[in-house]
This record gives sequence, structure tokens and C-alpha cells, in this order.
Amino acid sequence: MDGRVILRLEQLFGKERVLTNQTDLMTYSYDASFATQLEPKEPEIVVIPQSTEEISACVKLANEYQVPLYPRGAGTAQTGGPVPVMGGIVMDLSRMNRILEIDHKNMQAIIEPGVVQANLNNALKEYGLFFPPDPGSAKMCTIGGMVANNSSGLRAVKYGNTRFYVLGLEVVLPTGDVIVTGGSKSKALKSVSGYDLAHLMVGSEGTLGIITKLRLKVLPLPSRRGIVLCSFSKLEQAGEAVNELFRSGILPSALEIMDQQCTKAANLMRPQLALPENEALLVIEADGSKEEVASQVKRITEVISKFTDYVKFSDEPEECQQLWQARQIVGAATGRLKPGGFRVYGGEDICVPLSRLPETLRKIHEIARSYNIVCAIYGHIGDGNLHTSPVINRRDKEEIENAKKMIEDIHRLAIEMEGTTTAEHGVGIVRAQYMEIEHGTALEVMKAIKRTLDPNNILNPGKMALPV
Amino acid sequence: MKQLTTVESMYSCVRCGACREACPTLSITGREADGPRGRVLMARNLIEGVIPVNDEIKEQLDRCLLCSACVDACPVDVAVPDIVMMAKEKISEVRPQEGVTGIVGKWVFRKLLPFPKRLQKLGHLLWIYQKSGLQMVVRKLRVLKLLSESLQQMERAMPEILPPSRRNPHPLFTPSDRKDLKGSSHSAPRAALFQGCIMDMMFRSTNENTIRFLAQSGFDVVTPGQQVCCGALHTHNGEKDTALELAKRNIEVFEQANVDYIVSNAGGCGAMLREYEELFRDDPEWLPRARQFCQKVKDVSEVAVQKGTIPQAAGQGERITYQPSCHLQYVMGVKDAPKKILRSVADAQYVELPEAGYCCGSAGIYNLLQEQMANDILDKKMGNVAKTRANVIVTANPGCLLQMKMGIERAGMQGSVEAVHIVDYIVEAMERNKQSQTAEDQEELQKQSV
Ligand SMILES: Cc1cc2nc3c(=O)[nH]c(=O)nc-3n(C[C@H](O)[C@H](O)[C@H](O)COP(=O)(O)OP(=O)(O)OC[C@H]3O[C@@H](n4cnc5c(N)ncnc54)[C@H](O)[C@@H]3O)c2cc1C
Repeated sequence: MDGRVILRLEQLFGKERVLTNQTDLMTYSYDASFATQLEPKEPEIVVIPQSTEEISACVKLANEYQVPLYPRGAGTAQTGGPVPVMGGIVMDLSRMNRILEIDHKNMQAIIEPGVVQANLNNALKEYGLFFPPDPGSAKMCTIGGMVANNSSGLRAVKYGNTRFYVLGLEVVLPTGDVIVTGGSKSKALKSVSGYDLAHLMVGSEGTLGIITKLRLKVLPLPSRRGIVLCSFSKLEQAGEAVNELFRSGILPSALEIMDQQCTKAANLMRPQLALPENEALLVIEADGSKEEVASQVKRITEVISKFTDYVKFSDEPEECQQLWQARQIVGAATGRLKPGGFRVYGGEDICVPLSRLPETLRKIHEIARSYNIVCAIYGHIGDGNLHTSPVINRRDKEEIENAKKMIEDIHRLAIEMEGTTTAEHGVGIVRAQYMEIEHGTALEVMKAIKRTLDPNNILNPGKMALPV
Repeated sequence: MKQLTTVESMYSCVRCGACREACPTLSITGREADGPRGRVLMARNLIEGVIPVNDEIKEQLDRCLLCSACVDACPVDVAVPDIVMMAKEKISEVRPQEGVTGIVGKWVFRKLLPFPKRLQKLGHLLWIYQKSGLQMVVRKLRVLKLLSESLQQMERAMPEILPPSRRNPHPLFTPSDRKDLKGSSHSAPRAALFQGCIMDMMFRSTNENTIRFLAQSGFDVVTPGQQVCCGALHTHNGEKDTALELAKRNIEVFEQANVDYIVSNAGGCGAMLREYEELFRDDPEWLPRARQFCQKVKDVSEVAVQKGTIPQAAGQGERITYQPSCHLQYVMGVKDAPKKILRSVADAQYVELPEAGYCCGSAGIYNLLQEQMANDILDKKMGNVAKTRANVIVTANPGCLLQMKMGIERAGMQGSVEAVHIVDYIVEAMERNKQSQTAEDQEELQKQSV
């Protein structure tokens, strides 16, 4: 690295916010992906900006010296997305975390990119509002990262993903120029004026611009929720039950499946749950006013009862919390399936058509068995999104190699099932190799967009199969 | 006992980041190395020998408060403080602490803290310092200016030491105040006071108040005289052998006391006592005894809420807020009991402290070693205290208490805000309540006689 770069950055940010220590660099070599556990990649410099002006100046400097620059939020991605695979500068945006305005009269919030999802929702609660996209990482991920990855969560089945809530963005382009998408002065809730650049940025994973300010749409916070928990001896029955729910005109706010290994893991962690260890457990949530919830829970229960005898339900807050527990702890619980187990984040985000879900689940288990790997699967059965959770011994080299092969097989399976390798987590480095099969010539258009906006290939290079 | 060993737990971190928002130091600087994930990786790389022992890594790891907020937030209980300690042990193996700090440290850990009598003597000296006018002279001459800012503030925040004449051993037995049991064949549950080493020297009256509080709450209180320091400072400073000896001694002493509960009024000590089981993990002879000991250990507010009654107490219209002790909330898992007690006080308004989950920056002697970071943390804390507009900050651990007193000084809130230990606050309010009750009773009597 050119010594002048460090000097210029220190002039720009002040010494405190330019990190070059070996240990500091080491801690920016990873995100939550398994891939970067195995192969961490260190940056040469880390900067911690506090304003759009600083960011713009920094991007210009990166262009001047031809140094790659990687935006990073909380580093909770499971894709290697924020990791500096080609060396250069990591820009940690988590400190730009001010909520600038909650404009409750206009049902929107204006925030900096480093605001953590849960913190925004805490602030919104006071106004009886909420920002619906709810990834499992809501307590720690930044909303800048959520927009960059177009994240979503349990409630996507009803509320959709982050995309739906982005009204406008302030973006520092890869050249350092600053634009505002969605109308530079607009506070409108709908606009079709011009190319939809805001949504070009959504899901661009930090390759097309650095998001520095966000104008987000928010919704009225439902006052209650109800939960139905049901167990099926056969996966196929669970699939049919979900189908029947939709056909009966019911749209739950969450529709989750846990397989046998998951219920086993949850029971290991909290024996008092005493869940039946059948092939499938569904946890279904309805939200709305007290009356709406009560009637929905009743209707869901009626439909489900046609397929199984094991149905529990409630619309009382405390009981709901009880019923919800299984789903809440499953992510952490899977590690218990093996003493000293390490849960691998890999092949963790495929999505298949609803009609092929049971078949896919069975095939994933076959793959796991062929590599002799303990594996649990849970996911959003409402939209066909499965979170596979292989559990290995982190220090067993052979098991690591097998896990890698298994991840590859699961991704291929998703494509074979007319699905996708990633429903919400993103591509980054871990799924770049499937971009061509998934997109064909559309990938060429993506590359052309990238070249146009980022002629020097400065922003987040080496990701998403874009040119390097 | 913890499910995983420290090494196992070090390899179970999947770096999901659930700890990020819980970490006080990360909230100050935003540097990943100031957060739990970064620390686990740095520690691991050091332990595995991927990076050498040098000043840089030492400084990075020394910035951890060891507050355990991250463990509480971690879905798989990665024991970050244990992992950091393990790395620090490796550092001190390679480069034993040299110079005055090293020698003084060893002396304090091996020759002072384990011996209650010596501590009492130190207490005498401090008392002489405060009472002889020397303190005034020192303050006037500005000798303290030679010390760091934090030390000066700490000197000012130090509690008034009781004179030697008032520091006799606590009564071995104090009967419960429960009226309904008097004359009945049922006996009150027996609680032993764990008096602590520094606690008993510097916060003597808090221990006395704890006995009063427990008796009022319905316990027969025993205070075994042979008990010793819990060993927390030793464990945190790589003096494991001394810690083990102290633990064995305490286990024996409290077995003989034949009690239902062993009650601590300092989160830091209580957490250490609960860890005795972990300490004897590989010692089949002591493990069962340690386990039994641990099961009896309770914090004073916890035992009152769960096993006793909350004594009636009355404030005088003040606003109170509560700064939890990290060891109490994260290691002992006592989160609600102190709040429950505070909410029950009549004629006082309890307000939640925003971001109360963050450590106050005291963390043992952290505030002396990491002055800048500790002050940044404290200033942020005091900003939150100001938001509550409380007049009283209640704490549950002597270290936190001193730190909050320092914070009040730093923020210039003297006169409008005071910091107190929860037991001292409640006992005063309890007594106020009793007095007003007697006054009312007398009024009533007078009315009747008229
Ligand atoms: C336990 C766990 C559960 C999860 N559950 C879910 C889930 O249910 N649903 C889901 O969708 N995801 C989930 N994730 C994945 C991840 O948390 C999300 O993708 C999250 O939105 C990433 O946010 P972040 O702040 O951590 O971003 P980072 O990981 O730091 O970055 C992610 C990407 O965004 C880019 N980026 C970050 N900030 C900006 C910015 N301001 N401007 C431009 N680019 C930027 C980075 O370059 C990178 O490519 C989960 C992760 C974990 C560890």
C-alpha cells in the first residue's frame, strides 16, 4: 500500500479513525460466513467515517490511488460480502448510527446506514409504528447492510423483504459523486418518476454505491399476535396443510417449518418444551388487532386440524411466547446436536417452489447422510426458503472438507428444483459461482451496469461474479 | 457448571455478531477489535501461536472489561471473558509483569487480600488518613495532582471508613424479625452473610445494614468469622492457586455454618462464589462440595424477593434509578429482583436507566488501568443518568458504587444526585417507614385517649 494513502486518510479522518494495526486488521477479515472462518482476508486499512462528505472524499481518494474499498455494516453477512478479498480499505459504517427523523405523520423514517434494525424498531414503537423486515439478525445487523443485501425474515411471507420499505437513498457512487434516489427533495410515499435507482441499489451488496442515508417506509404496529403450533408425522402433510391455508384465503404473518432434527435440538436445549419429534413442526403466526388475531387463529386451527391431531394455539401474549420459543431458539439449539458442535453457515439460504419443498427437504437429508454430517433444517415454509444447518466439529479437518462438498451439493440441488441459491442472505463470494447458471445473459447486463457506475472497479470487487 | 470448556467455547464462536450491541467498549469506539468477536479471534490467534506476544495484542485484550454482557447475549454461551483471560495468562507467562506494579500486585493478592486482619489494619490506616487531617492537608497541598485524574476522583469518591472501635466482628447470629414465627415451632430460613474482604473494610456499614435487611426480610442471619476473600481479584489476575485456597476455606467455613443460603451484597463477590464449581471442574474431591456451596449462593436482593419478604420502606419523594452490576446481572443472572425491591418503596419514583445493560466502567481496577476508555464509558453512563432526572442512583456492588460516585463528580452533579448501595438505601427507607408508623400509631393512641 502506498504510504501516501494512509497519510491522506489520516488527514481526512484523523488518526483515531484510521486503523492499521495488525490486530485491528485481523478483526475485519471475517463476517458470519463459514467461508471466512476458513479463509479470512485482511484489509490493509480500516476507516470509520462519520459523514457523507468524508465518505465521498475517501471514495475519490480510493479512485486516485486505485485502491479497492469495501463497505461494511455490522459484518453479520453469511456471504463474505463485506470482506476485503482483494486487499485495500474496509469502511466500517456501523458508527453512522443516528436516527435522523421519525416523520410519523408521513409514515416514514430517515436514518443513517449504521442504525441497527432493533434500535429503529425500539424508537418507532413509541409512535405505534414498525419497520417490518425482520432478519434473524435484527438485534445486530445494520439497516444499510439490510438494504445492500435486500434482507428479509420470518414475516416476509406477509410483509415482504427490505425492498418494499425503501423510499429513497442517499448514495456515494463508486466515483465519489453523491446522488439521492427516489426524489432528491421528495417525501412522497409513492413515485414512478424516472428510473428506479433506489431499487438498483437494493441488493447490490455494496458493489454499486455506499448508502449514506435512508428514507424508509414504516407501517402501523400490530397490537397482538397469535400462534399455532402443529406437528406432522410426514413432511408432505405439512406441505399440503400450508397449501390449504393459502387456498382458504389465510395469509399468516409467519409460517415456519422445523424438521425432526430441529425439534430434537430444541428439546435438548429446553427439555420442558417437550416437542413431538416428528418429521415436521410448523409454527404459524397471525398478527393484527385482538379480534382479528382471535378469528385468524381459529381459522388456521380449523384448517390445520384436517391434517394432524397435534395442534396447540393461543392468542394470549404469555402463552404465545411459550409456543414461539421453539422457533426462537432453533438457530442456536442446532449446535447441541453434537457435543461441542459448530453450526456451519453455508448452503444456508436456498429457496425452492412451495410445491417442491418436501422433496427438497428429503434430498438435503440424503446429501447430509452421504457425507455423514449431522444436519438440521428449518425455514420459512411460507415462501419456500430453507435454512440448512450442518453441525460439525470445528477442528475436524475431514468434516470441514465434507461440509464444503455438502454446501456445493445443496446449492446445485436448489437450482435443479427450479429454485435459487439464496433467498435473503445474498451472494458475496460464497455463491458467486452460481451467478452464471442462475442468470445466464442477464449477468452480462449486471456486469455492464457495474462497469458504467464503477469504471475503476473500486467498490467491493471480487463479489457476485462481477468483473475483477 | 459451564457446558463447554474455555477452549471448546473458543471454537464455537460462529461470529454471528449477536454480542455487538451488548458490548460497552464497542459502543464507544466502533472498532471491531473492541468487540467480543474481535477479542475471541485475537485471543485464539494468540493462543494458537498465529500471532506473537507483543504490546499491541496485550493492549487490545486489556481493553476488555470482562463484564460478560456478551456471554449473556450469545446464543451459544461463548465464554468471552474466560477466553480473554486465557490469552492474558499466556501473555503473562511469556512476559511476567515487571516493575513496581508486578511486585505490588503480587503482594496485594498473596499477602493482603487473603488475610482479614491485615485488611482491617489497612482500614485503620485509611481511617487515620481521613480523620487525622492528613486527608485535608493532602488535598490542600494538591499532592494528588501528581496522580492521574481518575485516582484523584477515586480518592474523593472513597467512602468514609468507620473508626476501629466500630469495626468489631459482626455478631455471629442475628435472629429474624419475623413476628409470625415468634413462639412458633417453625424456624426462619438461615442465611449466612458473605462479608467480602474490601467490602468489610471500606463498606462496613453496608454489611451491617445487610444483616438488618435480611433479618427484617425474615431470615436468621449468621456471619461466620472465619470466612475469607472470595478470590475474584485473584482469578482475574492469574493468581489461581491462591484463589483455590481461598475457595476451599470458604467452602469449609460455610459448610460448618449450616445455612440455607449464602448471601452476598456485592455482585462481584457473588459471581465469584457461584463460579467455585467451575474452579473445581477437574477436582472430583472438591467438586461436589463446591456444587453444594454454589447452589446456596444468592444475592441479597434475590434471596429477599425469592425466599423472604420485601420489607416495607418509604422514601421522601425522590426519583431513583438503578445501575446494575454486570456480575450480578450477567453472571449471577439477577436482573429483576433489585428493581422489584426499589419499585416497592413507597413515596419514591423508580425510573429505568436507559442503556442500563452497559457496564459503568469500574470493572475491578479497569478504571485505573484504562483511564480513557473507562472515562468515556462513564461519561456516556452519566449522560443517561441525567436523562432519568433521578436524585438517587442505586447500585449493587461496591466497585459500581465508587464508580458512580466518581461519575457524579465528573458530571458536576454533586448536591443534586447521590449514589448508594441498594441495601443502605432500603434500610434507611425501612427505618423511615418504621418511624412514621410509630408516629402514626402514637397519634392514633392519643386520639383514642382524648
Ligand atoms: C444469526 C444470523 C441470522 C441471520 N438471519 C437472517 C435472516 O433471517 N434474513 C436475512 O436476510 N439475513 C439474515 N442474516 C444475514 C445478515 O445478517 C443480513 O444480510 C444483514 O442484513 C447484514 O447486515 P450487516 O449490517 O451485518 O451488513 P454486513 O454484513 O456488514 O454487509 C453486508 C453487505 O452489505 C454491504 N454494505 C453494508 N453496509 C452498506 C452500506 N451502507 N452501503 C452499501 N453497502 C453496504 C457490504 O459491503 C456487504 O456486501 C443473518 C445473519 C446471522 C449471523
